[in-house]
Order: sequence, then structure tokens, then C-alpha cells
Amino acid sequence: MSGSSETAATKTSGSAGSLLDRPLPSGYREEWAQHFATAARAADAASDPGSREETVVIFRIGDEWLALSTVLFHEIAEPRRIHSLPHRRDELLLGIVNVRGELLVCVSLAALLGIGDSLSSERGERMKTFERIVVIGKEGRRLAFPADEVHGIHRYSTRDLTATPATIGKAALPFATAIIPWQGHSVGRLDDQLVLDTLDRSIA
Amino acid sequence: MLFLMFRIGKDRYVLDAEQIEQVLPFMAAKALPGAPEGVVGAINYHGAPVPLIDLSSLALGRPSAAVMSTRIILIRYPSAEGTQRRLALCAERIIETVAREASDFVPTGVEAGTPAYLGPVASDADGLIQWIRAEALLTPEIRAILFQDGGAEI
Repeated sequence: MSGSSETAATKTSGSAGSLLDRPLPSGYREEWAQHFATAARAADAASDPGSREETVVIFRIGDEWLALSTVLFHEIAEPRRIHSLPHRRDELLLGIVNVRGELLVCVSLAALLGIGDSLSSERGERMKTFERIVVIGKEGRRLAFPADEVHGIHRYSTRDLTATPATIGKAALPFATAIIPWQGHSVGRLDDQLVLDTLDRSIA
Repeated sequence: MLFLMFRIGKDRYVLDAEQIEQVLPFMAAKALPGAPEGVVGAINYHGAPVPLIDLSSLALGRPSAAVMSTRIILIRYPSAEGTQRRLALCAERIIETVAREASDFVPTGVEAGTPAYLGPVASDADGLIQWIRAEALLTPEIRAILFQDGGAEI
């Protein structure tokens, strides 16, 4: 180890250390004790077969916040050029992208779900900065789609789900199984299998 | 192998991450009057009582400092009947994990005089890290006291 990196390491542990060595705020221990005790209801619900904990990755396409099971996600990559395929000019199949040297079929979830990019263009360039290419897949089949923003992983209990309202876009309706309330947004929980199967069929 | 590092006093110790279910904030515990040395109480974890052992108090006889980096490690503890129980351990400076090979750890040479839970040691730039064998943390007597009534199994 060189001298400079050693000093850097010591410095970081010093500043991080002073943060972590703060005394506990008053009521901190009691509050957490209460949190884990009241979470008992969630645990009770978890033992009840009707409810369980699931994790999803939340992302945004157009104005819609959507979620798919965490297990489907392989990679969230920086946006990159999507190469169009000759003689394939449908809305759904955007082309192929190169993700770490692997060529993946890139599809448009917006086209699949019938989501227009209404507001994002009005709000200007800022919205584009969060764009990502998302690689999903199951059992060796992988494909990519562009998302306007990816929030990350969210854990929820199935009993917090609400039914999809009738006002949701007609095209998205068969794919959205429920609504997850999240930070004041209503996140459409998509049917993993249905989305993958439909995409598979349509790009075949 | 992945290990969770923590401190007892000034020295660094690790636990095998495989045994760990969750790291919890340093929550208040219900005191258990008359409990053996090191057992500070029981925490309410999703409605189930889990005995809490303070590693600083077990090893050094003084409680862990009440600071942000002191946390509770929830481990799966093999009980005598072959089932698994939860056991909560609190220790200081639980802020990092380390990836080391099991073969990096070598015997200290003073095993005979030290408690059974102290395992082999591995060295790095800052000194030695000692492997804590969670299954040996409780003496048979304490284990009998804590888990005798067939409490909540996992």
C-alpha cells in the first residue's frame, strides 16, 4: 500500500468515524424498539398466507411509475445508442444495444404498455438526465428496454397493494396487476410473466 | 467468505456473514433482572422475544457505548435439538464487511487460555482480526437458561 492511499484511508475512517461515534439521539433506542415491535403486525401478516413481502425495482416510463420483480433485473446501464434493425420498423422493437459487449434486443415498454411521452418533453432536458437502459431477463433470455428514470429497489407487503383503478390506461391494464403506493406516487405493479411472454412473442 | 466486522474494545473481530440474518439499529431492550453476565435483556423482534447479548460486556465486563455505530447483529443460533433460534448480539463499530478466505485465519497459539468463542486470527495492514465462533458464544449453562422452554423457533 502506498503512503498516500494509506493517509486517504485513515482520513475517511476519521471523518466517517466521527459521524458514527455520535451519541444516540434521545429516544433513538426506544423508537427503534417500538418500530420492530409494531412491525409485529407485518410479521403476523407475513405468516398469514394472504400476505408476504416482495421487492420490486421501481422505474419510470413517460409519466408512469412502474415496478417489476427484483429477480428479473440483471443490470441498469447508462443510456447508449440503440442500433435499429433493418426491415424491422415496428414501435415495440427499437433495435439492439451493446451492453458490456453483449448484443441485446432492445424493446420499448412504452409501446407495449401504450404510454405516451406526454409531460416529459414539456419539462425539458432535465428529465433526460436520469435515462437508463435496463436489462431484464429470466432463464437465460435477456432483453433491454430504455427507462426514463430508475428509482431502485422497493420492498412492500402484499397487503399494502391496492387494486388497479379503472382510470389507468387501457393498454397497460392487462399488464398491471396492482398498485403499490410509494412516496405519494401510484406505482403500477406489472405482471412479470405476462410482460416477458408478450415481449418474447412480439420480437420472435 | 464474507465476514461482518465489529469491535470489542479496541480490537477487531469478525462473524461469518452466513450466520447473520440482519443487522438492526441499537434498539432498547427489556432488561432481564438476574440474567447471567453478558445477557443484557431481550428485544422484541417482530413480536418474538430474542435474547440480547452484549459482546463488550461478555468479553470486557463493560457495556457497549451508546453511539450510532453500535448495532445489533441478529444471528441464527443452532440450539441443542438441532433447530435454529435467533440470538441478538450488540457490539461496537459495526460499519464494514470484509471478504477473506477461511484459510487466511490461523490459530493464535493461546487457545487453551481463552474463551471458546475466540477463533483463529487473520492479519491485515492494521493488525489482527479474530474470528468469533457464534455457536460457542453461550456457555452450555447460559444456553440452557435462554432456550430451555422451547421459545420461538425460526
